[in-house]
Amino acid sequence: MRLFLRYSEALLLCLLVLLPLTSRAEGLTVTLLLSDSSTPYQAFLDTLSLRLPASIKLIVQNPVRNENRATGADDLVVAVGMKAAEAAISTSLRSPVLAVMVPKAGYDSLFLGQSAPYGISAIYLDQPWERQVDFLYAVMPDVERVGLLYSPETRLEVAPLLNSVANHGGSVVAQSVQSTDRLFASLEKVLSGSDVLLAIPDSRIYSAASIRNILLTSYRHEVPLIGLSQGYVNAGALAAIFTLPEQIAEQTARQIVAFDKKRALPTPSYPENFSVALNTQVARSLEIRLPSEDEIRKRMRKAGEEGR
Amino acid sequence: MFAALLAQPTWAREESSEQNYFQEFPVVLSASRLSQPQSEAPNAMTVIDRKMIEASGFRNIADLFKLVPGMYVSYYKGNQPVVSYHGATDQYARRMQVMIDGRSVYLPPVSMVDWTNLPITIDDIERIEVIRGPAAASHGANSLQGVISIITKDASQMNGKSVSMRRGTHGINDVSAHFGEQGETFDYRMTVAYNADNGYNNLTTMPNNIPPVGGAQLMLNNSYDSNQARMVNFRTNYRPNGVDSFDVQMGFNHDTQVAGWKDSFGNPVHDVIANAGFMQLDWNRVLNASSELRLRYYHVKQSQGEDFVLATGHRVVQSNNTDRDEIEVQHTLQTGEGNRLVYGAGWRRDAISADGYSLAMTALFALPASYASSFASDEYRIFAHDEWRISPQLLLNTGAMFEIDRMGHQRLSPRVAMNYHLAPTQTIRMGASVAYRTPAVIEENYQTIPQPGLLFVPSQTVTSPGLIPEKVLSREIGYLGEFHDLEATLDVRLFVDEITKGILISPATGMFTNSVSSLYRGVETTLKYSLDERKDLIFNFSHQSASSDVTPIGTLSRSIPKNSASLLYSQRLSHNWSFNASYYYQDMVQPYDRGPIDFQPSQRRADIRLGRKFALGKGTEGEAALIVQNLFDEQYTEYVANNAFNRRSYLTLTLDW
Repeated sequence: MRLFLRYSEALLLCLLVLLPLTSRAEGLTVTLLLSDSSTPYQAFLDTLSLRLPASIKLIVQNPVRNENRATGADDLVVAVGMKAAEAAISTSLRSPVLAVMVPKAGYDSLFLGQSAPYGISAIYLDQPWERQVDFLYAVMPDVERVGLLYSPETRLEVAPLLNSVANHGGSVVAQSVQSTDRLFASLEKVLSGSDVLLAIPDSRIYSAASIRNILLTSYRHEVPLIGLSQGYVNAGALAAIFTLPEQIAEQTARQIVAFDKKRALPTPSYPENFSVALNTQVARSLEIRLPSEDEIRKRMRKAGEEGR
Repeated sequence: MFAALLAQPTWAREESSEQNYFQEFPVVLSASRLSQPQSEAPNAMTVIDRKMIEASGFRNIADLFKLVPGMYVSYYKGNQPVVSYHGATDQYARRMQVMIDGRSVYLPPVSMVDWTNLPITIDDIERIEVIRGPAAASHGANSLQGVISIITKDASQMNGKSVSMRRGTHGINDVSAHFGEQGETFDYRMTVAYNADNGYNNLTTMPNNIPPVGGAQLMLNNSYDSNQARMVNFRTNYRPNGVDSFDVQMGFNHDTQVAGWKDSFGNPVHDVIANAGFMQLDWNRVLNASSELRLRYYHVKQSQGEDFVLATGHRVVQSNNTDRDEIEVQHTLQTGEGNRLVYGAGWRRDAISADGYSLAMTALFALPASYASSFASDEYRIFAHDEWRISPQLLLNTGAMFEIDRMGHQRLSPRVAMNYHLAPTQTIRMGASVAYRTPAVIEENYQTIPQPGLLFVPSQTVTSPGLIPEKVLSREIGYLGEFHDLEATLDVRLFVDEITKGILISPATGMFTNSVSSLYRGVETTLKYSLDERKDLIFNFSHQSASSDVTPIGTLSRSIPKNSASLLYSQRLSHNWSFNASYYYQDMVQPYDRGPIDFQPSQRRADIRLGRKFALGKGTEGEAALIVQNLFDEQYTEYVANNAFNRRSYLTLTLDW
């Protein structure tokens, strides 16, 4: 309800104030909203600044620090991360918003069903399930049962996952974790029936506090974990596929340049590029013959072509 | 299953945050935690895991080694197992190092393992790694023929409660409770257990067709070997931050073992009380993803006592005490993509005291009624082991340990092994190593006066002067193949072990001397085969021979079972029902410190286990199982002919919640 009011207010303002300003001569002005100033956001900013042509003006704002940021009309608001994306829609929808480095589930929860006159779009941080599953099978082609833990808080579209795994001839063994103290029992259950455990973005399950027991238990069962980041692989996951802030920044730069020409945002998209991390020590210990990264990418391309 | 996942409105912001992808994690599977796969290990290794332990149906830890090719498991008494590699050398089987979580339980003064007095239950074991061959470079001193490394469950591995009981023939009566909790920075688990049995049955007919003449018929009704062990152990792990981990363990076993023979004057039937306790602290610090430091300290205390009356009416009281302290520091370093280095140093102190008192000594031998001895000794060692992946096909393991043993001998034990992958699934291993065993206190200071009872009170003075460590040079060629299409793995090893300066007691002088050279050679093989998803098979076979200059010639070769085999079959019959069958075969053996009456004819034994899992609701689950050992009742005798193994059966019931 509150959102609606804010939205109508915004709409009114737009109509009254912004109409005369639509014609303009100078270069594009992009307001960049960063969720915070930690490393991933800094890395994003550094790469983006480097990749944008000089004609595009970049104004960096931290939405946490500037709660009441100026509601002037920006040509384009790029919101980095969920906090920034939330701030972007709550303060102003007078400008087109490109939310980047947001998980698809988060973006959907924020923007789905909202109409935005100036356009909203996104570059997600997470990988499409098809890619994630192609990756898994490129790393471990013989997998039959893919284990998955989920909690009541898990927000994922699982149908594409089930389909992708089925396309590779496997099946998903899912086990719910009702509460943190039941994690051990759920883990034992899922591991005893799986060839690999696929991590999902749910901090109720995968956190700095729980990762030790998850990894030790899965190692004991000789079931490798496929993680979501380099951090997972450093901790002891077998492999991970993920997109780095730098890679999102490059894609963002390309979209900004395109926006400058077309004045329109494309539909929300998954990241074009991705990185792969492999833990050769863990692979060796579990007697898994890891293909090289090149081979993995080759297999993924082949799977992608066959799938379509 | 996923209905809930899909249907709910997706407003949980926190769970949809990108922070899930940027989380920082501690290094969990660090270099020292990752075990070397068998295809890259420098030695032949047999792993007995939880599944095998359960499938075997065994309740004695020592019996598990029947599943290791080339290993000899027997019993001097029902409460005194003998576990040795390469045959039935003697009752004390001193040539293997035995460790629990890196803590040596191979204890002075006798340098043996009291298997029934270990402060752990078979259910506490996560896995056992048996290294077949010397491994001083990685497992320290006294691993002359091999190493048994028992790894117990982590503190985090028991989350909940479990009780189990076992009842069966031969007085088998075990109960145990296990409980624990897994937390974010702190885990613990605890075991309280009681194990009891009556050992072997009293013989009512002569075993092995021995004629009941002379003294032989005294074997009848002469089996006194019951055992009652009460134990408790506790393990906790605390992680104050992402890099430090403190693992604290302690345990205690109070064991009453019945010893002696009714026809023995000096060693009549009586109780031996054995106590064993320990505490251990392991501090692990992850310096970075490729470097880790571990500091280990433990204290072991073991005491044994006996108090009995001789036929002459004289009382005998004897006891011994051992205290062991050890500190070891170890650094594991991934020096590059293809090279891992482990090095460190250790110090160990053993303090032994033993004493005895009996007026019989004065009355019968005109010796002082009391006798005692005490010893304290230090050992120092440094070690390094390097694993170098020269190419994807070729791996070189080199290592060495330098030690100053308790007698001041300085010895270097090197090891080198090369693993060559003919194909990713086919590996050839060639290795050579040298190891030493320091003489036991009891060998150097053997009591020359007549001594009653079971326990040893060593002499305070050296009775076997000039004794030096015995040495082994071990060479082997191994093959390890995985056959994915057949779901099978094959492990074959050819070995030649040459022991020089071997220690043996001379019957003429009663002194131990470095008088034996012996040569062991053979082939050992393990085949693992999955018939289908529900049926698994493990088959072990060993063929070995030995020769030595021990007279009469053939003494040593007869003490080794020429051929031995074991087979373990597991089948899941349904979701709840499981079936296991095992078969053990061993050629005839003449233990070399026993007389011809204790000749062990060949053994054949089949065991079965039938288990049914059930759920009682509210998260309570359980299993009931029936185990029958020696199903066909093919009576055979163990190390001592009194020990006729006949059919045993027991039921186990376990509840977890």
